[in-house]
Amino acid sequence: MRRRRLAPVAALAAAALTLAGCGLGSDDSGSGGAKPTVDANAKVTGEVSFQTWALKPKFTSYVEGVIKAFEAKYPGTHVTWLDQPGDGYDKKVLSQASAGQLPDVTNLPPDFALPLAKQNMLLDVAAADPKLNDEYVEGGVQAYQYQGMSGTFGYPWYLNTDIDYWNATKFAAAGLDVKNPPKTFDELLAAAKVMHDKTGGKEYLMSRLPGIGDFTNAGIKILSDDGKKFTFNTPEAAALLDKYRDAYKAGYMPRDILTNEYLGNSKLFTQNKVAWTTGGGNAIQDFQKDNPSLKGKVVPSPALDTPPLYVQGLSVSAKTKNQAAAIALARFVTNAENQAAFAKIVNIFPSTKASAQDPYFSKSDGTPESDAKVLAFQSLAKAKNLQPPVISGATNDFIGQQISLAISGKISSQAALDAAVAKANQLLTQ
Amino acid sequence: MRYNRWFTPWVLVIPALTWLLVFNLWPSINTVILSFTNARPIGGGHFVGLKNFETLLHDEQLRWALLNSVIYMVVCLPFLTVLPLLLAVLVEKKLPGITFFRTAFYTPVVASAVVVALIWQWILDDRGLVNGLAEKLGVISGPLPFLSDQWLLLLSAISLTIWKGLGYYMIIYLAALGNVGRELHEAAAVDGAGPFRRFVHITIPGVRGTMILISILISVSALRVFSELFILSGGKGGPGGRDSSVVMLIQQYSQGFEGNLGYASALSIVLFFVTVVPMLVLARLNRRGAEA
Repeated sequence: MRRRRLAPVAALAAAALTLAGCGLGSDDSGSGGAKPTVDANAKVTGEVSFQTWALKPKFTSYVEGVIKAFEAKYPGTHVTWLDQPGDGYDKKVLSQASAGQLPDVTNLPPDFALPLAKQNMLLDVAAADPKLNDEYVEGGVQAYQYQGMSGTFGYPWYLNTDIDYWNATKFAAAGLDVKNPPKTFDELLAAAKVMHDKTGGKEYLMSRLPGIGDFTNAGIKILSDDGKKFTFNTPEAAALLDKYRDAYKAGYMPRDILTNEYLGNSKLFTQNKVAWTTGGGNAIQDFQKDNPSLKGKVVPSPALDTPPLYVQGLSVSAKTKNQAAAIALARFVTNAENQAAFAKIVNIFPSTKASAQDPYFSKSDGTPESDAKVLAFQSLAKAKNLQPPVISGATNDFIGQQISLAISGKISSQAALDAAVAKANQLLTQ
Repeated sequence: MRYNRWFTPWVLVIPALTWLLVFNLWPSINTVILSFTNARPIGGGHFVGLKNFETLLHDEQLRWALLNSVIYMVVCLPFLTVLPLLLAVLVEKKLPGITFFRTAFYTPVVASAVVVALIWQWILDDRGLVNGLAEKLGVISGPLPFLSDQWLLLLSAISLTIWKGLGYYMIIYLAALGNVGRELHEAAAVDGAGPFRRFVHITIPGVRGTMILISILISVSALRVFSELFILSGGKGGPGGRDSSVVMLIQQYSQGFEGNLGYASALSIVLFFVTVVPMLVLARLNRRGAEA
């Protein structure tokens, strides 16, 4: 009797233990990435799936036009287009990757592509397409090449960068010249002091905590050459944090920035609460749309130091059953002609070298909006990836927490950096 | 014709049992197993023994999170057990316009936690409503750092939880008050007992079981707090992450492609035990009280 009672319990436990451990499996991360088995001359035909990120319904006709042109160029091909909503895209891609159902061609920014490339889920497209390095800008291609891995795991699609935006009214109130805004971090600090002192502490210039990008800009090495250890806890990084801490203590920045999310900077600018923010080439339109009283008051200028490079790209799944068509589609969507057409309906910049001469991007019509676009385009030439893609969301959060603790003055900058590096290394190796 | 076949009860419980097995038991067992691994969302992982639990012991943020959770529970428990009862006693009376007050007290419950927290963020920031009014009235010389000081931020989140929870627990008390015999109040009144004595000696014993239930619910939700702290701290847990809760840490570690599911699972197990202990204590108190 006892045995009969125990049997179902044992069976249930065995089943549960078998089912459990979901998430475990082979940890077969490689360093070489998946290599394609076809070359650029392979015949392109058959079905291929293509996933974009929040392009419907605004750009439906553009994408459908590109797909139609692809199918016309390669008779016998059929593209199935999937567009995912903007929110939760990382979770969607994660679930697709976990289930082995990644679409043949997927829009993945470099930090999404890295963990998939590590697990050999993405093709090294450069191995099948030797012209990749010749046709796309260096920064775009490099964004899909990772430390400790060989290969290029995506075609760069479109690029963006940040420039600076200043509030002319607040500059005038503080006696500062908006036509000659700060060009370095030290000039920014000096202007923040002037704005604070001249307005009796009522106006702020700065409202942003430093991050990894600021360390990179200050010449601090973030990661060891082998990509296995973080190295940004240097005296130079501590000195940079000290400058921010002193400015914060002196009241040059709003106190609540210690708990603001990243976009706080541009939100406060839009709300007319601070006089400086960074933003993409089209951000000026958003500021003026969200707060029409800013119209005519926003002045763009090039970013302080090296501007950040933001890259979007198309990666090819290693599990695709139609490598030739998938690679051809990724290349076709990202070619100079299609990117230029895309960049003319939305404020992004092409990643192809051929687009550099296009006067649409390089000539301003004199309006602040057009000036901002041209400035952003010109900035792309020296823009760099300031934050290594290996820095995951959790790592970024922990680093930000320690930085805010240092700025608040609760612990020394060096102690905060040491704690941030220790935690980042722990998360990297776990 | 036989209706009571042996499998009839099983057929009736199978839907609930399936739900329990698939969505409760299996994930629980899975969490225990994952806590002994270094699993990631993609690519799997390996068994690492007790390494995650060793890391937990030295995790400074977990210590802060546990401390925050305990403070949260200790402060919320008396306020949310007593204040809603007083409110329920007030709005139970059949007075003209009382429906307005019942609705007003319940409104924060139906408002989204995120929306409420955002409004509070606006009220409490350096140039927000509270600081602005206090400065205008000359109560303070400079703004109080409600959203940037570790303890004030925690206090703000606790206040938000209490404000939002009042209406919910008030409704539960209202239902319980309906079961307290009116004749007891009338008899006590005839014997000369005033409203306070009747409240202490009739109302409180009458809703004692509900108070214990509410205490358990408050303890569990206070220990599992997320939205209030997450929103008020801008999703980062404040300077140094010292205003994180255990649930925030679980979210932080498990997020994204490189999420550390093993460590997040170990944190979940800690949270489970932390939540179960006060529940058991309160249940035991209830049993003792009932026996006495």
